[in-house]
Amino acid sequence: MTHEIYAFLRGPMVWISLTVFLGGSVYRLASMWRLAKKKDAVIFHYISVFYSLRSLLHWVSPFGSLNMRKNPAMTVIAFIFHVCLIATPVFLSAHVILVKESWDISWWWMPDHMADLLTVIVIGCCLFFAGRRIKRPDVRYLTSVSDYLILAAIAAPFITGLWAYHQWPAFSAMMLLHMASAEILLMMIPFTRLNHMLFFPFTRGYMGSEFGAVKNAKDW
Amino acid sequence: MVKNKIISYTAVFSVFLLILTVAAFSTDYIETVDDSAFEKKTRPPAAFFHDAHNETAGIDDCSVCHHLYEDGQKTDDMSVGMECSECHMSAPEDSAADLIRAYHLQCGGCHMEQKAGPIMCGECHRKN
Repeated sequence: MTHEIYAFLRGPMVWISLTVFLGGSVYRLASMWRLAKKKDAVIFHYISVFYSLRSLLHWVSPFGSLNMRKNPAMTVIAFIFHVCLIATPVFLSAHVILVKESWDISWWWMPDHMADLLTVIVIGCCLFFAGRRIKRPDVRYLTSVSDYLILAAIAAPFITGLWAYHQWPAFSAMMLLHMASAEILLMMIPFTRLNHMLFFPFTRGYMGSEFGAVKNAKDW
Repeated sequence: MVKNKIISYTAVFSVFLLILTVAAFSTDYIETVDDSAFEKKTRPPAAFFHDAHNETAGIDDCSVCHHLYEDGQKTDDMSVGMECSECHMSAPEDSAADLIRAYHLQCGGCHMEQKAGPIMCGECHRKN
């Protein structure tokens, strides 16, 4: 039975989750584009590549915006979190080897003890974000159950991956959960608030152009 | 008396020779899959009890695993006694990843086909 589940999660389910992720992303971007044209057509007159990139560059640079300078702890944690979140799965030795097996292409991978550390950082950051949502009244006011579920969905592949790597009890079952939870997370991206991954360049483009081209002001 | 002595010496020597021959061809001591080409080990060598594995899997033909290819064609010869890296890491552009790939496709591929045997990282690369 394990072989069948593993074969499904490593075969068809990879394509299903990639299709939902990519297809969903294109759909969300296209429908948002249509909505903008209908409700906010004026933006298309002054949207500018220069002001978009100027805003984007400030917001992807640590402490590049006033809001980040006002919350240094959150800024440091948020940047570290996002770097670890992306770098760990992409440069994990086991993942590179799986791609090498399937498509005969490979790239640099990080030492396992480094991946171990980055994984613990991601899990720690998720706990910090959850704690922040509980503790800070202003953040709690804006928090719904879905925010905790999203945090749990992000932490799940990292917790199960750490478990499987260290070969703690029942690690084979944990490996199957690892694969399944990562595929679910991928499919969640276009349809939850994780879609900031797709929308943030456009959000910055919108704000950057309005502040730059219309108000002659900074948006960072 | 002398004749008896010769017979017993011959018998002892024969048994000794037999043991030596069996020992020389024995593969029972193989407990991991390892290759000297792996200079830096990312994971522990894969646990592999050669004789027990082949008994369980019902493999009598050595060339099932110890295959030998020439110009992309499988030959009747075998690669027993060779290290896998002699072929699977022989091209100048080959890296450890190519050798790892060969091992994983050979072992994991068969396990997936047979729906038996280890398939996940930690099931072969045991930490203890």
